[in-house]
Amino acid sequence: MEPLSSYIILSSALLGVGIYGLVSKRNAIRLLISVELIVNAANINFVAFARYSNPPILTGWNVVFYSIAAAAMEATVGLALILVAFRLNGTIDVRKLNRLRG
Amino acid sequence: MPDIAFLALSGLVIASAVFALEARELIYGAVGLGLSLIGIAGLFILLGAEYLAMFQIAVYVGAVVVLILFTIMLVERERGRIVEEEEPVRLGRAGIYVAGLVALAVAAAVILLAPVSPEAPEFYRAPLQELGRSMASSYSVALVILGLLIGATVVGGLTLVKIEQKEKTSGTAQ
Repeated sequence: MEPLSSYIILSSALLGVGIYGLVSKRNAIRLLISVELIVNAANINFVAFARYSNPPILTGWNVVFYSIAAAAMEATVGLALILVAFRLNGTIDVRKLNRLRG
Repeated sequence: MPDIAFLALSGLVIASAVFALEARELIYGAVGLGLSLIGIAGLFILLGAEYLAMFQIAVYVGAVVVLILFTIMLVERERGRIVEEEEPVRLGRAGIYVAGLVALAVAAAVILLAPVSPEAPEFYRAPLQELGRSMASSYSVALVILGLLIGATVVGGLTLVKIEQKEKTSGTAQ
């Protein structure tokens, strides 16, 4: 069985990929994909830490259960907002959605 | 000595996550996201949480990715592709630097600060009965709030994307 640190390194790498997408991408859907990747990195950490305690604790699994459901809802609302923004502006490039800029 | 399954799954997860962000066509990006999420479900199985893996596949791959695909199709223009402008190179490089720094810092902090765990049992599967019991007893309030949240989200999403019906004829009676 691989050590706990390998799971931590994997989830940190996934977090890095997500942050890279958040910083450098302009398409709103890609930003949403990045957020999903970051949430999944957190989920991996929860499950791994729960598994590697002795005895394994169930709280980690419970938290991930709620986290997955909440992330699905967040994606629903985010995609609805993207659709509305596209109807209003004709683009989902987040650097062009700047009508509220002073 | 890391497991070969762990190595393969983590390679799949990271590679398809990068592909999801870098694919030229957004629709392939969504498929890459789905692959990455399936890989994470495999990691959950490795960690002994088969139930969570099923839940992950059902909710993420079955609902979220399909929702993203639908949105891409609704937003699409110009023969099925969204014209994306090239990101400036400067921004991409800044993103790589920031992401690398944050990931390194988080990994180092967690590995250094994590309590040295005693030897975890070699084989372990999450007891489904205990999971369900704790969900119904100590986490029941969270479950109810989750249900309310789902209802509010559905209503909110439908309200947001609803297209207002234009009044076709002014002569119709109220």
